[in-house]
Amino acid sequence: MLPDIKERMLSQSGVSARSRDVLGLRCLPGECVLQRAVMVRKKLSAREGRGWVSGTLFCTHFRVAFVPQDSPKPDDNADPVLLGDHDVALASIEKVVVVGPNRTKLVTPNSSLKFTPEELVLYCRDLRVVCFLFDRLTPDAQVLEITYTIAKTYQPPKPGSVLSFQNAALGSVEMKQFLSNRRRNTDMNWFESASDWEQELERSGASGWRVSSVNDRFEMSTSLPRSIVVPQKVLDTELKKSFAHFNEGRIPRWCWRHPRGSDLLRMASFQNNIYHEKDDIRNLEMILFGCQSSLCVVVELDEELPSPADIQLAHSRLRALCLGDISTSVSVPDDKWLSTLESTHWLDYTRSCLRKASEVACLLRGGHLTVALQEADDRDMGCVVCSLVQVMCDPHCRTQSGFQSLVQKEWVMSGHRFYSRINYHRDNDKEEAPVFLLFLDCVWQLLSQYPSRFQLTGDFLLALHDSIHLPLFSSFLANCQRERCKRSQNPGQSYTPVNGWRDMLHPDSSSDPSDPPLPSVWDWSLQYSKHRRDRFTQPMPPIPPLQPLLNGNLNTNPDSHRLTDTVPGSVFLLSRGIFSCPVNLLPWRSGSSGVYKKSHRRAASSENVPGLERLLKAWALAEFPQGLTSSSGPQGPLDPYEPLLPLLMGPCMGLWRECYLRGALHAQAFSHPASANHPHPVERLAREVQQLKDKLEQMSTGTDLNPSTKMAEPRRTDTNTNLNQNTNNGTFLFPASRPQSAGNSRAAPPPTSTNHQTSQGIHPASATPSRPGHRDNGGSNKHTFLFGHSSVAEARPDQRYYPAPQNAKLPKSNGIQSAPPHDRL
Amino acid sequence: MEKQAGAAGAAEAAGPNRKPWGLPSSGPNTGETPESPTGSHVEWCKQLIAATISSQISGSVPSDINRDNKARRRPDFMMNDRKPDGPSHLPRSCQSFHGKRSLQNLPALRYGAQVTMSQNQVPLLPGETVQTTVKDVMYICPFSGLVNGTLTITDYKLYFTSVERESPFILDVNLGVISRLETISVPNQGENTKGLELVCKDMRSPRFAYKTEESNPDVVELLAKHAFPLSHSLPLFAFLYKEQFPVDGWKVYDPTAEYRRQGLPNESWTFSKMNSSYELCDTYPSILVIPTNIAEDDIKRVAVFRAKHRIPVLSWIHPESQATIIRCSQPLVGPSDRRCKEDEHYLQIIMDANAQSHKLTIFDARQSSVAVTNKAKDGGFESESFYPNVELNFLEIPNIHVMRESLRKMKDVVYPTIDEAHWHSAIDQTHWLEYIRLLLSGAAKVADKLESGKSSVVVHCSDGWDRTAQLTSLAMLMLDSHYRTLRGFQVLVEKEWISFGHKFAARVGHGDENHANSERSPLFVQFIDCVWQMTRQFPAAFEFNELFLITVLDHLYSCLFGTFLYNSEQERAAKEVQTQTVSLWSYINSQVEDFTNPFYVDYEHHVLYPLVSSRHLELWTAYYARWNPRMRPQVPVHQTLKELLLLRGELQRRVDELQRDATSHSLTSSSEHSPAHSTPLHSAV
Repeated sequence: MLPDIKERMLSQSGVSARSRDVLGLRCLPGECVLQRAVMVRKKLSAREGRGWVSGTLFCTHFRVAFVPQDSPKPDDNADPVLLGDHDVALASIEKVVVVGPNRTKLVTPNSSLKFTPEELVLYCRDLRVVCFLFDRLTPDAQVLEITYTIAKTYQPPKPGSVLSFQNAALGSVEMKQFLSNRRRNTDMNWFESASDWEQELERSGASGWRVSSVNDRFEMSTSLPRSIVVPQKVLDTELKKSFAHFNEGRIPRWCWRHPRGSDLLRMASFQNNIYHEKDDIRNLEMILFGCQSSLCVVVELDEELPSPADIQLAHSRLRALCLGDISTSVSVPDDKWLSTLESTHWLDYTRSCLRKASEVACLLRGGHLTVALQEADDRDMGCVVCSLVQVMCDPHCRTQSGFQSLVQKEWVMSGHRFYSRINYHRDNDKEEAPVFLLFLDCVWQLLSQYPSRFQLTGDFLLALHDSIHLPLFSSFLANCQRERCKRSQNPGQSYTPVNGWRDMLHPDSSSDPSDPPLPSVWDWSLQYSKHRRDRFTQPMPPIPPLQPLLNGNLNTNPDSHRLTDTVPGSVFLLSRGIFSCPVNLLPWRSGSSGVYKKSHRRAASSENVPGLERLLKAWALAEFPQGLTSSSGPQGPLDPYEPLLPLLMGPCMGLWRECYLRGALHAQAFSHPASANHPHPVERLAREVQQLKDKLEQMSTGTDLNPSTKMAEPRRTDTNTNLNQNTNNGTFLFPASRPQSAGNSRAAPPPTSTNHQTSQGIHPASATPSRPGHRDNGGSNKHTFLFGHSSVAEARPDQRYYPAPQNAKLPKSNGIQSAPPHDRL
Repeated sequence: MEKQAGAAGAAEAAGPNRKPWGLPSSGPNTGETPESPTGSHVEWCKQLIAATISSQISGSVPSDINRDNKARRRPDFMMNDRKPDGPSHLPRSCQSFHGKRSLQNLPALRYGAQVTMSQNQVPLLPGETVQTTVKDVMYICPFSGLVNGTLTITDYKLYFTSVERESPFILDVNLGVISRLETISVPNQGENTKGLELVCKDMRSPRFAYKTEESNPDVVELLAKHAFPLSHSLPLFAFLYKEQFPVDGWKVYDPTAEYRRQGLPNESWTFSKMNSSYELCDTYPSILVIPTNIAEDDIKRVAVFRAKHRIPVLSWIHPESQATIIRCSQPLVGPSDRRCKEDEHYLQIIMDANAQSHKLTIFDARQSSVAVTNKAKDGGFESESFYPNVELNFLEIPNIHVMRESLRKMKDVVYPTIDEAHWHSAIDQTHWLEYIRLLLSGAAKVADKLESGKSSVVVHCSDGWDRTAQLTSLAMLMLDSHYRTLRGFQVLVEKEWISFGHKFAARVGHGDENHANSERSPLFVQFIDCVWQMTRQFPAAFEFNELFLITVLDHLYSCLFGTFLYNSEQERAAKEVQTQTVSLWSYINSQVEDFTNPFYVDYEHHVLYPLVSSRHLELWTAYYARWNPRMRPQVPVHQTLKELLLLRGELQRRVDELQRDATSHSLTSSSEHSPAHSTPLHSAV
């Protein structure tokens, strides 16, 4: 990594002119171009439309960047974006392989090449495989140089490399300044302060709960957040005694309330089974039962779900299977592909998580009860199941901001050990397990089965999937809130999470200029270009339109009476799909403790089990057990809280091809460039609709002064009334931003341009996210041509519906055969 | 603007107030009125959802006639296992369709409906007659247990209804789909109870139990009689079916018109009338396209040298390079390596007809080892040493028996229960996808040879009517966008399969009780599966949709239409199929909107090369596993899709309107927003 003279020269050009482009590359502040090669072609994935695009390849000390030939001139005044659409961060590179005439070679920092590579393949940790093809016109020296530079500069995972990477990306003074001035996204709930939790209580209409700051200094539990939600009845002083009875002090905490009145709790396993005082027990019971007096179901998560070690093993097998590594030339024969896929068990694990979550979702919809998810340490599968249940049941969690809030609530704040599980430093292989990736896969399964019920898209999940592998984000560089806070107070540390909101937490310690401030992963505009971000959400609202939520407690469930005969204080264990009430379920109730015998509460009789089992059975028999429909009428709007219960049969569990198979190069070649499977046609069509709307809006603002304004006027009022209606209803489905976009697309009045400007956010606090209303056209260009037969295109053949020619999107019929078929078949 | 808002609002408002497509009718469960309007979305739902819904879902909501009514009115399912359960059991989207109907303004489904009602409320097709009705029959549902009801047998279908359960249950099994009838033992149901299993060709086997009484006619005997009419000297139902369709599907395929479309005849190729009375080759069509410069006597000698006299003839010609797809059967080389000068000359002429290449590629679909053993049976393959400039490739595709076995294994995997844990390896073990991959990759090789190699291609297997038809038709589908249209695909099937003598009667076994016949094999199913794989990979390149493909497969077995009956054009002419029966294309082309893909964009002159790695092939569960109720799709994308299309149309219209307004009112402002300036306009957003 020692800079030679040339490198210095190049880097000077990068430094001296901030963000001046070198052959079109827009450098980050302080980023140095180490090497470049011209006339390089990049292989496009199926998602990008397949084929090739030629341009210039760069290697900086932070990324391998590629700038297509005719890409538009970068805008010098725009905020820096870490990675361009074709770029790969050095930290996400796992392996560098070159392909020469008749051979392939793995390139390490020390290796020397005896041939001039024709192809450069970067295998990434996020399962991307990026392939560059050197043209005959690329100078040989450049080819060799850039290969060596990449091999030397990329960071083989080892302790310490993370820090240098962070510094490379964010270390410059300008970057630090830029980051510390960054405002955080106010559309989502960050669950950092007590007020954030109160907002969530209010959103879900949960009463009888309060936010306790008893753990404000992390004295009760080191891994729990500062604020936890506990029953109102329990005082902090009483609460303090309970921590000792749970592993790591992770007492039952409220997570979410189902609109039919059930509460979802999480807790770790019981420990310290000595219960001295009756008060102790009374408090424990109160905490566990929450606001429901009658029934609590403890859902055991350890038994049926995969352990982190299982997940790690499955994922590494899946990686090996999907990556198709040409340097090792080990490939699975085609006729064994499905069997090999099955033997990774990855899909089994996805299914078991979804099944567990479906069971819990069915329980919750059944009425007033408390469901407590119990896992030994409550930091892995608890996160998965708890958040999956909410994705299934709560439409809010299927929006981008809602999902981000959910991850913030159930993962980041509640202490999922991201830092250890991702193992950025490669110093703790034993703990490594991509639990979060398993969760993303589960969400993708739901998304693929219920595409129209999600506002977020597969692109968003993919972006989140990829960001995990970048050791840059405060969200993932710590194991719990305490660690995050500790590091932010400790400026010398390498991974100080400043998040741009440090000043809120510690207004005094904010300005140490030496540490690279780490952004949050949710700061998407830092990571992705606008047109990539625009694809994070569906351009159209979910169809059918969702009912507004009447502030919680709908409680129209006809089944609830089934459970009313339950003895107050009954506790059941749900394990392996069966309810039981083992004697020692609650250790303080078991006979051995002796103390509890005096209590008036009896052990629950098993007669109540059938009522519960019916709830599950209804699900097992029919994906749509009878629910609200009878009350809302056969054609009434959908109950938005009807859980999305996934089909779990073998054929229904799909492989997330867009993620795992995007690197399968051998399969990409030899195909029609227009064959891109993705995005889904619906998505493409929706984009086109959105573009038309945008256009319409442009047109109408342009003609406002004309007599045709009569068209535009009523529309504007439409928008307003819609907005008002929605806000008056107090809908929490899509806080802040939703009413507008919902209004837009339902009645189809696009917002006027004034709306646009607000939402593009000079003042982020009031900004609505630039979701559906402002779809960037550049990004969708490449796909919309599919609908080029529409009258627009016919009328105006020079329209944008045709793809840019340099992207080789629409080659002539005989321009395709880049490879003879038999080589690939 | 207002209009749009109004329209959307109206659609929403229409939702709750509007009854679903049930009309006021005689009974609560019968909505059959001939003119009852229904939307194509219903069709979709029915196809993908309703057909698979069955008894296993218990429901308490009073029945609503929507889906059921619809399904009964149309004959496109061999077996409909469904229940008119309440909307709560319908996928939500189904319900939400109701409101959108007015918006979509789809024409009603008019044709092919079952309208006549017998006294038992059994919907009947024109020409269909009830044979018997048996009471107290139990349907042994593999998903939810026993259902008691009444069984009606007509000469076309088996119709089981039950009103015992909370909501009515109907099972409508087409007799044509039955492969064999088996008696099974039914324990615990009394002594004179008999069990019956209908093993079907479309991947399921419903079971019944019934009481044997003196008064009742023998169900099995009656079923066998009408399920296998040819074995009982009865006519196939297609000859009894009396429906009138406004479109005549027999006119879809006119061989001369099709060849003219390809630019034939030209200086190298000509129409031959040699086979006009099927003398040259009894399994070939009457019109053949052969090279111009060849004497009749030579052709006759070539015919003798080719198995079943299936000489090399042109199937398709490349509009630019003049490279051709030629199909034929294997040469009768025999163990002694016979030669035929005329055959060698014939292939030379074919090569010369294409000026772009001095090579000819022969694709032998068989496994090379099989081709060698065929020599012993007087068959064989072209020797590269006798045929100059010929390149011979084997595509290594196994024979019809292997395919039959593969699909049989598949049935075990998907019906009645699906093993979750071992689903993928079970699919692997059927090798079905492996064979699909072989076919697609073989066809892609053929297409690529023509397109990039610009050389003519000869395709044959043993007899040139099974694998050859699969390969040539798939290659043509890849090469020629015309075949990717709804009508074009019908032409392709009529041409490459029906007219060139794929032995549908033998492969499917229409009306024949000899279920163990080794001639049976699901080759056409395999072909349609390959087409489906392509539609998955190129979602906008095909004018037809999945429903179309499933409908074609359903009527492959149904014997309702004459399209797939008999083995050759000669037989069909002898049986007067065209005058005595209805064509499947009449049914389809009378309501094309149901079978069209809304995303279709004509990729004219685009060659589609599907990805053939098994990583990119999927099992067509919507067809193979459709009988399993747990396989119902959750959200029909179709719905979203149609709504978006409508919305787009509406917005497009308004954009155009505004644009017109703008141009007429202000030149300056209109120039800002004129199409010529579209680029800044879009990037500005």
